[in-house]
Amino acid sequence: MTRRAAIASAVCGAVCVMVAQQARTTVRGLPVSKVQNALPAVIFTAAPVYESLAGLHGKERFPRGAQLMVLRAGRAEPLVPGLAESADASVSFDGKAVLFAGKKQAGDLWGIWTIALGGGEPQHVLAGATDLIRPMWMPGGRIVYARRGPEGFALETAAVDGVGSEVQKLSFLPGNFIPDDVLRDGRVLFESGFPLGAGAIPEMFLVYADGSGVESVRCDHPAGRGQDTGREHGRQMASGDIVFTHGSRLARFTSALADEAPVAAPAGDYAGDAAELPDGRWVVSVREPGEKRDALAVWKPGTAAMKMMAWDGERDLVEPVVVAARTVPNRHPSGLHDWTTGNLLALNARLSRSGMLNAAPATVRVETRGDKGRAVVLGTAPVEKDGSFFVQAKGDEPLRFVLLDAQGRTVREEHGWFWVRSGEQRICVGCHTGPERAPDNRVPEVLLRTTTPVDVTGAGGTVGAGGR
Amino acid sequence: MRRRLGEALLGAAVVCLALLLRYGATTVAAEPSLDITEPYASPLELLLSPDGSRLYVLCQGTGEVRVLEAASGRELQAIPVGRSPRGFFFSPDGRRLFVANSWDDSVTVIDTKSSAVTATWKAGFEPSSVVEDGAGKTLFVADRIGNDITVLDAATGAEKETLEAGRGASYLAMTADGRRLYATHVYPNPTPHRTPPESEITVIDPVRAQVIDRLKLESIAGAFHVALSRDGRLGVVAELHPKNLVPLAHVEHGWAFVDTLTIFGADVSSEPGRTVEVPLDELDRYYARPFGVAIAPDKSRIYVTHGGSDVVTVIDTRRMLAYVHAHREPFAEDLSASAHYVVARIAVGKNPRGVVLSRDGARFYVANRLDDTISAIDTRTNRVTQTIRLRGPEKVSALRRGEQTFYSAQYAFQGEFGCANCHIDSTFDGLQWDLEPDGFGRDIVANRLIEDLRGTEPFKWNGKNPTLAVECGVRTEMYFWRSQNYDDLRLADLVLYIRSLPSRPNRFRAADGELTSAQERGRAIFNRTVDKLGQPIPQGNQCAYCHSGPKGTNQKSFDVGTKKPTDNSGLLDTPQLMSVALTAPYLHDGSAATLEEIWTVYNPHDQHGRTNDLTKDELNDLIEYLRTR
Repeated sequence: MTRRAAIASAVCGAVCVMVAQQARTTVRGLPVSKVQNALPAVIFTAAPVYESLAGLHGKERFPRGAQLMVLRAGRAEPLVPGLAESADASVSFDGKAVLFAGKKQAGDLWGIWTIALGGGEPQHVLAGATDLIRPMWMPGGRIVYARRGPEGFALETAAVDGVGSEVQKLSFLPGNFIPDDVLRDGRVLFESGFPLGAGAIPEMFLVYADGSGVESVRCDHPAGRGQDTGREHGRQMASGDIVFTHGSRLARFTSALADEAPVAAPAGDYAGDAAELPDGRWVVSVREPGEKRDALAVWKPGTAAMKMMAWDGERDLVEPVVVAARTVPNRHPSGLHDWTTGNLLALNARLSRSGMLNAAPATVRVETRGDKGRAVVLGTAPVEKDGSFFVQAKGDEPLRFVLLDAQGRTVREEHGWFWVRSGEQRICVGCHTGPERAPDNRVPEVLLRTTTPVDVTGAGGTVGAGGR
Repeated sequence: MRRRLGEALLGAAVVCLALLLRYGATTVAAEPSLDITEPYASPLELLLSPDGSRLYVLCQGTGEVRVLEAASGRELQAIPVGRSPRGFFFSPDGRRLFVANSWDDSVTVIDTKSSAVTATWKAGFEPSSVVEDGAGKTLFVADRIGNDITVLDAATGAEKETLEAGRGASYLAMTADGRRLYATHVYPNPTPHRTPPESEITVIDPVRAQVIDRLKLESIAGAFHVALSRDGRLGVVAELHPKNLVPLAHVEHGWAFVDTLTIFGADVSSEPGRTVEVPLDELDRYYARPFGVAIAPDKSRIYVTHGGSDVVTVIDTRRMLAYVHAHREPFAEDLSASAHYVVARIAVGKNPRGVVLSRDGARFYVANRLDDTISAIDTRTNRVTQTIRLRGPEKVSALRRGEQTFYSAQYAFQGEFGCANCHIDSTFDGLQWDLEPDGFGRDIVANRLIEDLRGTEPFKWNGKNPTLAVECGVRTEMYFWRSQNYDDLRLADLVLYIRSLPSRPNRFRAADGELTSAQERGRAIFNRTVDKLGQPIPQGNQCAYCHSGPKGTNQKSFDVGTKKPTDNSGLLDTPQLMSVALTAPYLHDGSAATLEEIWTVYNPHDQHGRTNDLTKDELNDLIEYLRTR
C-alpha cells in the first residue's frame, strides 16, 4: 500500500470539483479560474481513494470508485455521467475522442469505452471476463491496456475498429504490467515490479507493439527497499523525455543520459502522469505540503512555483490529460517470423553495466519459471571465448540466463525474467549492459563456429527453426 | 496481404505515372511538381571571402559558384563551373578560387576579383576537394574514385605527381602553418572478409608532397570533412561507424550505425598519431551522418552538421577533451558519453552539409543541400538568425522529394540511419551486412551500386524483390528501419529518385568508345564460346550469357559455385556490371577482395565462367575489359 492508500477518504462526495470560483490558501497569485480559462480542456480522474500502485499488486486503484471529469472554461463536469465509474482517460490523436476504463454499474468489471468529445453516448469497445484498465491509443486503430488475469494484469493490444477484435498479448510473465504511455517511437511504456517478473520495486519498461524487445527504459534501477522508492506513471513529453514519479518526486529519463535525472519541481508529493500543454507547461497531480488531497496544478518547468488549477476536498484528482490533437506515434512493423521459438544471441556475456566479469563463463544455463516461481532448467549452451552464445528458446515464456564457469558454478545470473516472442530474433550486447551500450562491430565467435542456435527450448530435441 | 498488394500496385502505378511525366512529353502544373526543368541549386559547400563580406556557395545541382553578400544573402554573381562540383578552396591570398568538379575530373580556377574562370585543369578520377599550399605553389586534389591525391603546379595546372591515398579520398584540410595536409575518405580501405572496416587519415607533408603517415580509423567506413584548429593542435573528422558485422536484428542501442568524430593532435594525446573516437548520438536519438566540421577560432566550440538529421551539433571542446583525457579506454559505443560535451543541437534545413565560420567566430553558415537554403547561426545564442533562400525552383518536385527521402534518417527507428548511410552520396558503402531475416550469420550480403538501375531488376542478391517499390517499401520498413515507413506516394518519389540516378562517367573507357588492345582482348574472352582447348563452353558458363545486354545482366539467377556454408542458397541474382571497377569487394557476400579473386580464388571448378584455362595476362585482359563497363 502506498501512502495514498492510507489517506482514504471516508466521504465520496457528489461531483464537485472546486475549480476556481474561490480562493484556496495554497493558491498564490492568480485565481484558479483564470488559470484554467486560458488552457485547453483537461480531463482527469477524481477518486475518493487513489492507490496509485495498487495495479502493480493486482489490486483496485480506485476502491471507492472514480469518475472522469472534464475541466474547461473554468468549469468541471463529469465526462460520462451515465456510467457509474470511469477513469484512465486517453485522448485520441486527433483530439476528438476519449478512450477510458469504465463501469456501467458500480458492480461491473472495468471495461474499455470511448466517447466522442463533440457529444454522444459512450461506446463500450472492449469487455472481458475480468477487469480491463489503463487503455491507451496506439497507431493503426489499436489500443493497449492491461487485462486482469489469474497471474496479474497482463498487457494486451486490440483493434478498436471491430469490437475488441485481434486481441494480442504483449506480456508473457506472471506479474502485473500496467501501460503508462505509447511513445512516439511506437513502443509501449509500462510499469511493473523490478526485477521483472520477480520483484516489487515499481519500475518502467518498454516493449514493441508486437510484444518483442522487452527491456528496461534505463538500467539505473531503484535500489531502495520500500515501494515508494520505485518509478511509476511515466509519460513522454514533446521533448522526448519521459517524466515520471520516483517515490514522491518528479524525475525524468532524457535521451542523452543513461541515468534518471531529477526534475526541479516545487515541493510536493507528485502522483505522476504529468500532462503537457501545447505551450510546454505541465499539468501535474500534486499533493502540496500539508494537504491531504492530490490536486491539479499548472507548472512551467524551470520555474519555482506552480499554480493550482483544480482541487477537491473529498477526492484526489489524478491522471490529467490535455484535450488536444497530438502526434501519432510510429507504427511498429512487426518482423516476427512464423515460428514457435525465438533466437537469442549474446555478443559478450562478460560485459555488464556493473563491470566486466572477471571469470570467464563456460556455459549459459537457460531457465524458465515453473510452479510457484521456481526456476526450471531448459538447457545449457556453450559460451565462446569472446563471451558470445546463441540459443533457441521457447517463445512467449519466462526466461532467464545464468552464467556458469567450467565447474558449473554460477558466476552471474539474472535476478528477474524476460521473454522472447515466438518468431523473434534478438541480440544483447552483454548481460545488463544498459541501453547506453551500443554493440561492438565484430562477428561474434559463436556465429563463426555455427549459425545454428543451441536448442534450449526444453524439448530436448534437435535444433528446429534456428539458423534460417 | 490484399491491402499490401494494393498498396504496392498503387505505388507502382504512381511510379509509372511519375516516370511518364518526367521522361515523356506531358507536363502538369499542379502539385506535385513534375514539370520542373530548372535544376535546384543544391548547395553543398560554403566559403567566406577573406574579408568576410561575401559568402561563396558551391551549388552542386546547377554546377555553379554563387557569390552572395554575406550580410544580406543577396546574390551578386553566379559563376558556372564543371559538372557536379564537390569542393572548393580559396588561395591563401584570396585572389583565386579553385573548384573540384567531380564528374569532369577537373579543377576550375576562378579569379575572385573579376569572377572570371581563368583556367580548367585536369585532375584525377572524381576530384572531390582541393587545397593550395601556403606558398601558393602547389595544389592538392583529392580524387574519390582515383583513391589518390593529385598534386598540381598551382601556376600551370601541370600534374607534378600522384600520392596514394585511402579508398574514396574526398576531403582535405591544411594546417594554418602549411606544414601538414590531412585527407579523409568516404569508403573503407580493404580489410579481410567479415572483419571490421577501417579507414585512414592520410597525412601529407605538403612541402615535399609526400605521404608521411596514415592514421588508422578503426571501425570507420565513411569519413567526411576534416577540420583543424588554428594552432594545429586539434584535428576533427566527421564519420560513420557502421555495425555491419552484427546481425541487424533491431535498431535501438546503435545497432546499425553510430555517428562519431575522430579527434587527433597534440591536444588529444602526446602519443604521436593517436586518434580517439568520440560519439555524437544519444540513447534514444541519433544524429545521422555527420558531414561538415568547423572549429571555432578560439577552439572553444566544434560545429558538426548531420546530413541525415537536419541538425548541427555544438560541442564544448574543453569538456570534450577533459572527457577524453579521463577515459583511456575506448568509449565510442557509449551512447551516454555525448552528454558530457554536446552543448546544443540546432535544427537547420534539409540535408545540411558544408559549414563555414566567420573569422571572428561570431556566426557560422550551413549549406542545406536539399532545400536550397543557407542557415546563418549566431554562435553566442546557437540560434538560426537568418535563412537565406537560394535562387531556383520554389516548388518541390516529386524527384526532389524522393531525394530528400533518400537522404533523411527520419524513417528509421529513432532516426538512426537512412538510405544514404549505406549508399553514400547515392553510391554504395563497400561493406557486407548480416541482415536478420535470413538468420544470424547467414546470407551475408555485399552492398551494390544503385546507379542506372533500370533494366537490372530483380533486386536483392536472391532476386526476390521484383521492383524497387518492393525493395524499398515493406521490406525496408520491416527489416531495416524497424519503424513506420514513408507512405506510398513518398515511396513512389523515392523510387523515382533512385531510378533517375545516372551511371557516372567511366574513366576506364576512352571518350570515343575505343578500347585499348588489352580491353579488346578482354572483350574477346568475355564473349568467347570456345575455350583455349577448343572445347565449346556451355552457354551458361559463358560470361556474356549471364552478363548480357547493356547493363551486363540477363536479370536471371544462377548458381555459379560461390555458395558458402553460411548461405541458404547458391542461386544468386546476376549483378549488373556498370562501374564494376569501383565496387569492390565482389561476389554476393563481398568475399572476393578484387575482381581477380573472383576467378583465382572463388572459381575452382569453372562454374562462374570458364576461366581456369586463362593465363594471368589473359585474366588481366578480361579485368581490363570489365573496367570499361
